[in-house]
Amino acid sequence: MKIKGLYCHHVHLLLVPATLGILSLSGCEKKANDEPPSRNKEKAMSMMKNSIKQEVKKDLSQLSDPVKLIVFTQDMECELCADNRTLMEEVAALSEKVSTEIYDFATDKDPVQRYGIGKIPAVGIQGKKDYGIRFYGVPGGYEFSSLLHAIKIVSKNESGLSSAAKEELKGLTKPVHIQVFVTPTCPYCPAAVQIAHKAAMESELITADMIEIQEFPQLAVKYNVMGVPQTVINESVRFTGALPENKFLQKILEAAK
Amino acid sequence: MEQVVIAGTGPAGLTAAIYAARARLDPQVIEGITPGGQLIVSHEVENMPGFPEGISGLDLIKLFKRQAKRFGARFQSGIIRTVSKRDTAYVLTTDETTLETRTLIIATGAQARRLDVPSEPKFYGQGVSGCATCDGPFFRDRDVLVVGGGNTAIGDALFLTRFARTVTIVHRRDYLRAAPIEIEKARRHPKIRWMIPWIVAEIAGDKSITGAVLKNPDTGETRKVDCGGIFVAIGHDPQTEAFRDLVVCDEHGFIQVESGSTQTSAPGVFACGDVCDPVYKQAVVAAGLGCMAALDAQRYLEQQDT
Repeated sequence: MKIKGLYCHHVHLLLVPATLGILSLSGCEKKANDEPPSRNKEKAMSMMKNSIKQEVKKDLSQLSDPVKLIVFTQDMECELCADNRTLMEEVAALSEKVSTEIYDFATDKDPVQRYGIGKIPAVGIQGKKDYGIRFYGVPGGYEFSSLLHAIKIVSKNESGLSSAAKEELKGLTKPVHIQVFVTPTCPYCPAAVQIAHKAAMESELITADMIEIQEFPQLAVKYNVMGVPQTVINESVRFTGALPENKFLQKILEAAK
Repeated sequence: MEQVVIAGTGPAGLTAAIYAARARLDPQVIEGITPGGQLIVSHEVENMPGFPEGISGLDLIKLFKRQAKRFGARFQSGIIRTVSKRDTAYVLTTDETTLETRTLIIATGAQARRLDVPSEPKFYGQGVSGCATCDGPFFRDRDVLVVGGGNTAIGDALFLTRFARTVTIVHRRDYLRAAPIEIEKARRHPKIRWMIPWIVAEIAGDKSITGAVLKNPDTGETRKVDCGGIFVAIGHDPQTEAFRDLVVCDEHGFIQVESGSTQTSAPGVFACGDVCDPVYKQAVVAAGLGCMAALDAQRYLEQQDT
């Protein structure tokens, strides 16, 4: 399940109401020439079509524990920050178990520090505790499934990693920071993001970020990202492509040596 | 000892899993290098019967998998590295585990072909890409090449015109395999140029790609073109590396099966999907073959037990 993601030259990413399960890549040029849709708080357009909302509602109906979406934006919201906040609020509205907490990146110093947020738009997924699962940039397109995945594993308190993988992660002794760079039109990317998030859930030492690279061009330059999924672990280990779970795990262990 | 091990989780492997699980064979599925297979890259599958509105490849695979799990199929991450025979059974190794099974269903599919030029590995993910929708946005206002002449190549070229300044289609033959309707669209597009028949002989650049050396296969002439990215869509090769000593393959690596069946040259080993299909390469065909493989395995086990 995903939300339509449209790329344009002039607009990084437009999230528009989508037909269920269809990622349309058409209509970009037309949109770019039109007036950009109004994005202020009063007039924020819905990020999800009703049919998608019904699907998400069903998907989230089996949640166990409450989940909080910790959303970081700012006063005078940037367009994508507004999109991100609206999307989180709309998802939260679809389940009694999901709620949002909205913070201002500039003024809410305490939560910004507590969650280690260095850029926005940002979301942390919190259940019984904060597992270190982060989304930077709007999780649209194929990444919408990663958002739902994170909510579900946190709520069920079960990462779904194999027992062998869980055992191996118990041996970690150093902090691990996993950054998975993605584009919303990348079908291979959610696999990488979701393994990283599972690992974060399994180990207190791991923080795992989905980063929509187009929204953070400075990171694309810093890490010279020209292909996704691109995963950087602790600045020392780096690989392109979605690895199977066991291979991904080896990379985590390698970075934590 | 497993009754059935299924290698691969595209439409062939997952359909085999559904049938084998319903036959109470308790199948163990090895997910493979890209869980879900080639289908996960399809934005929209419009010709799958039963989905009149179309469905994304990823969503379709999720439905297949959910159905297989519902009947108890077990999944594990990994890639089969070796297969050896032990009495009438087979011993399989992945990087982590060793499994022994009475039957094996090979549904490992096909993987995108690489350009096979010396500097390609260095630039893969750094300017050379196999996924236009994934990486297209990194090439805003750049000149890019698309290598290939099939539907994927032409579709990629059209998609990349959203970002790139120019898109040059490089194809080794005069003849394009792509559907005429797509070729027409590309021919009319002002950003698309053609280099036919040319092949990519080498990639130029130090840290990032600055160009490519193209070679004309007819005249032997070479020409340097400037570009910032190269998108490769030159078809797929069957993934049969681990099975070459076990079963008979044709010269392109496709596993050979008995006509009208999924039986390979090794008793108890069955093949289905793109790994044995050089012709049709369709999700619905792969699913049909997956069904056949599970039924063939079931019949084989019944015969062994009587």
